[in-house]
Amino acid sequence: MTNPNIQIDDEIREMTDEEYADLIASGWTEEPQDDREP
Amino acid sequence: MNAVGLWLVKTQTIGTAVASVNVTGAFSSTYDNYRIMVNIDAITAGGPYVTLQLGATTTGYYYGAASVVYSTAAFSGLASNNQASFNRLGPANSGSGGSLIIDVLNPNRAYRTMISSSYADFNTAGSSGYGSGFLNNTTQYTDFTIGLTSSTMTGGNIRVYGYKNGQS
Repeated sequence: MTNPNIQIDDEIREMTDEEYADLIASGWTEEPQDDREP
Repeated sequence: MNAVGLWLVKTQTIGTAVASVNVTGAFSSTYDNYRIMVNIDAITAGGPYVTLQLGATTTGYYYGAASVVYSTAAFSGLASNNQASFNRLGPANSGSGGSLIIDVLNPNRAYRTMISSSYADFNTAGSSGYGSGFLNNTTQYTDFTIGLTSSTMTGGNIRVYGYKNGQS
């Protein structure tokens, strides 16, 4: 299983495991959410 | 050049299937205040919120917004209370992406950063909203990251403008 991609300016690469852990800690979920109001 | 108030600082194209876009060198001492215009062409799946993080800071984001549904005029509130980012800037969606206008005040000054943001969901069942908030520290930032609460984004652009400080 691959980690999501991160873009830094024009560079796009797969997130490192540490970056992916930070993303998960921020509340990001791999399962798509539908946050449309209401 | 006194008539020119907004100066383009940086343009960043959004790549393919990225969870976040980090824009470096956006803020400096040249301008106190900035406008960020975000156009996301497509979301891979779902309808996540767009997020904004300054530098590497993952705490202290406070934000409140009013949201109104087009079809029903139903009103609701969105809030971020000491979150890891400004994480309720308005939903994007898989059908049509999303666009936001974000004014950012004082990101590179040793003062609290304030934002004012508006969004329009391009889905006809969606909503529009407007809010403001602040980052509760005095860190001086040069970078920011646009992200999502889930899924990934493809295409579009991020443009950063600086509001000229003086009249010269």
